[in-house]
Amino acid sequence: MKIPWALLTLFIVINYGLLMTALVQKIGARVGRRHGIPIWQNYIDLLKNYGLRTSITHGVMFYLGPVFRLSGGVGLLLFVPSIYGSEMFSNFSFAGDLILALYFVFFGTLGMALGAAESGHPYAAIGITRGLSQMTAAELPFALAVFAVALQYQTLSVTDIVAAQQGSILNWTLFTNPFAVAAAMLSFLGSMMRPPFDVVLAPQEVPIGPPTEYHSSFLALMQTNRVLFPVAKIVIYMNLFFGGAANWPVFFLKVFLIYMVSAFVGVVFPRFRVEQSIRWFLIWAVPLGIIAVVRV
Amino acid sequence: MVSPIYIIAGGLGAAFLLGLLPAKWRTFAYGITLATLAFMSWVAGSWLYAFAVNGALPVEIFTAGTQPPFAINLRVGLAEAALALLMTLTGLHAALYMKDTLFKQGRQAMAILLIFIMALCGVVFTRDLFNLFVFMELVMISTGGLVLLSSDQRALGAGIKYLIVSQLISMLMLIGIVFAYHATGTLNIDGMAAAHINLFKGGSLAFFLIFMAVVAELKPFPANGWGLDIYESAHPAFSALFSVATGGATLYAVDKLLLIGGAQWLPMASAIGIVTFIAANLFALVQTNDRRLLGYSSVAQIGLIFTVMGQQDILGERYYFIAGGILLAHAVAKAGLFWLSGLVKQRQLTDWAALRSQPLLVFAFVTFIALLVGLPPFPGFYAKWDLAHLLAADGRLWLLGLILFGALLEAAYLFRWFGYIIKREGSEAGLALQPMKVDATLGAVVVAWLLAYLWGQLSGHGNLLHAIPLLFALLFLPLEWLPAKVKNIMAIAGLVGWFYLSYPSYDAFQLIFAAVMLPGGALILLASFQTQQRRVGFYPAAMLMFAGLSMLIVAKGSFDFFAAWETLTVGSYFLILRGKHSEPHALSYLVFSLGGAFLILAGFALAAQGVMDFQIAALAQVAKPFAPWVFALLAIGFMTKTASVGVHIWLPGAHAEAETDVSPMVSGILLKAGLFGLFVLLMTMGKQQLYGVELTHVMLWIGAISALVGNLLAIFQEDAKRLLAYSSVGQMGYALFGLALMNHLGWLMALMFVINHYIYKSMLFLSVGGVAKRTGTREMYRMGGLITLMPLSFIATLIGIIAVSGVPPLSGFGGRWIFYNAIMTADYRLPMVIIFLAGPIAFLYLFRLIHTVFLGQLKDEFRKIKEAPFWIILPQMIFVAALMVFALVPGVALRKVDVYLSQFFAGNGHLNWEGLTISSDFGYWNPVAIMVIIGVIFSTLFAWLLFVNRKAQPVKQFNIVFAAERPFRPETTHYAWNFFAPYRKALGFLTQPLVTRFWEAVTELLHSAAEVLRRIYTGNGQTYAIHLLAFVVVVYLLWMGGSDGI
Amino acid sequence: MDWIAMGTGFTLILMGLYGALTNRNILRIIVSFTVADTGVNLVLVAVGYMHGRTAPILDEAVSAAQAVTRIIDPVPQALVLTAIVIGLGVTALMLTYAYKLYEVKGILDISKCKDLKW
Repeated sequence: MKIPWALLTLFIVINYGLLMTALVQKIGARVGRRHGIPIWQNYIDLLKNYGLRTSITHGVMFYLGPVFRLSGGVGLLLFVPSIYGSEMFSNFSFAGDLILALYFVFFGTLGMALGAAESGHPYAAIGITRGLSQMTAAELPFALAVFAVALQYQTLSVTDIVAAQQGSILNWTLFTNPFAVAAAMLSFLGSMMRPPFDVVLAPQEVPIGPPTEYHSSFLALMQTNRVLFPVAKIVIYMNLFFGGAANWPVFFLKVFLIYMVSAFVGVVFPRFRVEQSIRWFLIWAVPLGIIAVVRV
Repeated sequence: MVSPIYIIAGGLGAAFLLGLLPAKWRTFAYGITLATLAFMSWVAGSWLYAFAVNGALPVEIFTAGTQPPFAINLRVGLAEAALALLMTLTGLHAALYMKDTLFKQGRQAMAILLIFIMALCGVVFTRDLFNLFVFMELVMISTGGLVLLSSDQRALGAGIKYLIVSQLISMLMLIGIVFAYHATGTLNIDGMAAAHINLFKGGSLAFFLIFMAVVAELKPFPANGWGLDIYESAHPAFSALFSVATGGATLYAVDKLLLIGGAQWLPMASAIGIVTFIAANLFALVQTNDRRLLGYSSVAQIGLIFTVMGQQDILGERYYFIAGGILLAHAVAKAGLFWLSGLVKQRQLTDWAALRSQPLLVFAFVTFIALLVGLPPFPGFYAKWDLAHLLAADGRLWLLGLILFGALLEAAYLFRWFGYIIKREGSEAGLALQPMKVDATLGAVVVAWLLAYLWGQLSGHGNLLHAIPLLFALLFLPLEWLPAKVKNIMAIAGLVGWFYLSYPSYDAFQLIFAAVMLPGGALILLASFQTQQRRVGFYPAAMLMFAGLSMLIVAKGSFDFFAAWETLTVGSYFLILRGKHSEPHALSYLVFSLGGAFLILAGFALAAQGVMDFQIAALAQVAKPFAPWVFALLAIGFMTKTASVGVHIWLPGAHAEAETDVSPMVSGILLKAGLFGLFVLLMTMGKQQLYGVELTHVMLWIGAISALVGNLLAIFQEDAKRLLAYSSVGQMGYALFGLALMNHLGWLMALMFVINHYIYKSMLFLSVGGVAKRTGTREMYRMGGLITLMPLSFIATLIGIIAVSGVPPLSGFGGRWIFYNAIMTADYRLPMVIIFLAGPIAFLYLFRLIHTVFLGQLKDEFRKIKEAPFWIILPQMIFVAALMVFALVPGVALRKVDVYLSQFFAGNGHLNWEGLTISSDFGYWNPVAIMVIIGVIFSTLFAWLLFVNRKAQPVKQFNIVFAAERPFRPETTHYAWNFFAPYRKALGFLTQPLVTRFWEAVTELLHSAAEVLRRIYTGNGQTYAIHLLAFVVVVYLLWMGGSDGI
Repeated sequence: MDWIAMGTGFTLILMGLYGALTNRNILRIIVSFTVADTGVNLVLVAVGYMHGRTAPILDEAVSAAQAVTRIIDPVPQALVLTAIVIGLGVTALMLTYAYKLYEVKGILDISKCKDLKW
């Protein structure tokens, strides 16, 4: 049966995500000569928020927003095989191929946007417009890279793409199609909610962007997603470009390293405004993607 | 049978008799006039019947008891009898119409009218050149007299200008005649023709003079200022006569002259005709006076017929069918319009809005302009079709292009005028209704439809008035008095019934389109139950569109296809025009659509190479030099309907301003007609190369750019329906892109778009329309927070946007999945960059739509608003259900077409449908599994949250976290206006309205050119005389220069 | 002789046209046109003239049998007669117009009848 194994995957990834994000935060703080949070801080936050009870809601969509959000994260994780070659951890990848994963990314985004919007808070709406605007440009190089990879391996099945990269590290897409990977990694920066592309949440000018009105268990769901979703997304990157993972330790390592790319860039650069980031992606990342597509 | 000479004798005798009557016996004199005209009509009619039905031979009438050339002879055949009937009937109606004026002016006026009609018949009948001159002079003198009947004092000036010009004309003619006589020794036209006048020294010059004299009566550009002045100032009944009867008779005279001159004069006729046609239509663009506009239109139509005359060498046996069709259409329409103008008190085009209070007269007007433009099922349509085919077969493409261009100009100003009638301020007080005048006008309408039937019978293509869908649509005209709800039931029953009847004959491909168009239309019509009262004009228009659509998908021959295409275009135009502010948008829709239709006509004509019943399937066999051009013409024509970038500017306004239940029809259904056309084109012609450029590659780019531009423009709209309209541009861009990929999955994706776009765009338009109905605005930023008040509309919108965005698990995802699989085998990769960029932009406008309308802050004025009316909600809910079903089991609709499409690509790239999983060569997809997995995750989380927060209460609107300040008005707190400001900063430069500017510049250029050029008509009679002389000289020089002096 | 008539005729036509196109007074225009008409008629007659022949009247001087060789062609002369009659009619009509115009508007200047244009 798939379901228990899928739940196990979920459990592993959530715990890994909680620890990893805290670790990355701590690294970021150390770079800024601060002490940073304890490594288990995320557990504390999450438990606290799950424990809180609220008597406030702004309406049905407000209610559904976090549900959409977390469903998006969980679904994304489960539609992609986590461990290459493992029947147990292939999750629900029988339901659809790469395209399903790509489009399912938007499920949570859209639902979350709707929920936040119903709160009636203008900051939420502002955050969403920024997020969506930036996304249109940031996703483009990734889409091109995916197209290039799919063309390269002549398949849309994630499993097959990973299979094609086995054997040697030189078989990774990173080396066989460096332009696609470069474009995708630039795009990656844009989707990780880290500087210089974190104007969506914009912690200083707008309280916290879309989630402004969310609290207690609503927020808890979203926090769960915040640790789950990046990992789910990175899994796709890992599978497409970095040879996938044949076992959990490799999985943990690769995810961490890929995540660190955005963290690394994030601590170094200041924040772009939305229109700046749009132009940046179109000028720097898209041409790489085009080269990748044309060269395949 | 009474000899036709009595037509002339009767008129002449009665005119003399009138002169002898006492001046006071007005009623008696009037009675004699009517009786005489009726008698003349009867004689002409009986001969026409004899020639047409009994096949009688032409009658020769010899005067003075001798044979020609020693005496004058007349001849009456089919054409002469038809023209005589036309002229005498118009005369009879003119006499009825001018009853008051004739009574006031007395018997002399009546006598002149009789002389006028008699002389025109003489012009038609005579076979003697000098006799022709005499009759023409009689026409001229009686014209001078009849112009004076006008109550407009300016007619005096017009009359004297006319007389000055006609003096010149008669001089030319006399000199020409005598020299022609000198050269040939006869005055008989047939004798001269036999003598080959051009062989004699000076003979061709003599003929040239005669020819010019008669042609000048046709009011060729630029020597026609005098004619326009008469049209503008004369009594409308006389203007009608002047246009119809004089025009017809003179054209026939020219036709006879061409017998003498022979074939080498034909190109000159065409050249003069086409220049006149285009110039007059161009000048008419800037007219505001109704009668002058009609004058320009008359001049143009006669120019067109003259052009056709010049082409008689290639028209063969279709010559009389074509020329006659255009002439009769022009005659009936122009007479009707001039008569209508007598019912309208004021002379500005906008004053015709008064007609709106009389639906019957509006219908008359529509009939007349449809006749003039040559829309189906009127004679001009058949004539246009044949003409285009014969011209194209002979390679006279420039001429064909010019004719179509002129016709488009004409359609533009006529339909703009119609827009004024339907949309401008007007009251019944602007009408001067008199039963007699109304009857005359309606008589013309009846004749128009009879002619439509007759030409359909003669056409050899099958009579359009025998097409059941078309008849069904027309059936709603006499039923307009019924309440809208009853008509709605009939309409729905008609659509569903027709689908049921035709179902067995559809193949899988047709079935998809038929299902969207017929039952799909019926579904949208459910929303029409919402409307009250009679809703005059809606059902004939809507059913006309559906009739066109249903005929389109089963059309086998190119003629049927084109007829259906024009029918649906016209129907949808009327439908779009119904919107409150849609006047300019409906016009731009019509002009683009007709322009596209003309391109399609040209494409078919070029492909057919003279084959009149050309089969669509035969497009596949079109040979090399033509094939790419045919492809390009047809493709551009179809793309005007799918609103591809470049020709998309009509769509936003047309779709946004249409009524609530019309928007989904024209968006969800009508756009598919364009896709259908493109499908058919690609299925038959496949890939074509023009100058080494792969045309489908160009289409690929057009599709991609349409997708980008449509989506990009959609996000900057404040108007909800405009947003959806631009979104359609983008969606159609996707579909076009899929088609142009030229692989199995690309086509399948386009077909999926046909279904998907129909469902979600109809649903969204209905939902937004319902909201707009309740809130009284379409500006999204003025709404907000409507989710609790209009939950069902919200659900429809939510499902709709999820589907549009392509997010799993709804059916939009299926489209995206097929799309990705399709591009895997695409030949070209660069356009993908554009289409990838366009994709996510859709999220922006979709979010904007749902956020600014349903989420955010509710405004005070909308707190008591109710859910949209039941009948608007009902179809939305059905659409939601349909969307869910289609998302779960796309195979229901797609499986069969998947098989069907295999034949075009040798079975390559089709999908596999094993169990619930759909797989392609590259990937797989299991819609049911996706739905279940997502559903389970979603409901688990939801249930848990519900359990945890079971005590949660909805809080008040302003109970939100705000730092330091407190929101106090929803208007200032609802973030909605200029929603994507940063995006505009980043990419706004892409939304420069370059295309709009281009088309505006074209329009502006045409209008300014007309404005400047028409100033040659200074109003000075002497200038007009100089125009005429200059015209003769210039034509002479050009002609002699061009033909080395024949 | 016939070329003199022909030449005179064309000269008259040109003179008439010149007059009609340069004079603004409607009466003068009408007179100019009658001059031109006369010219046209003269041309007509001149075209029909044949050297050494007599008028087309069958009497003692010319018998029907000889007619074909002795008389000139009668047709142009018949045409001229008709043309003169028609010319009269047109001239009368133009004069009526001039009268009406003067009556209604008080003008006889063609360049002032420009209320209809474009």
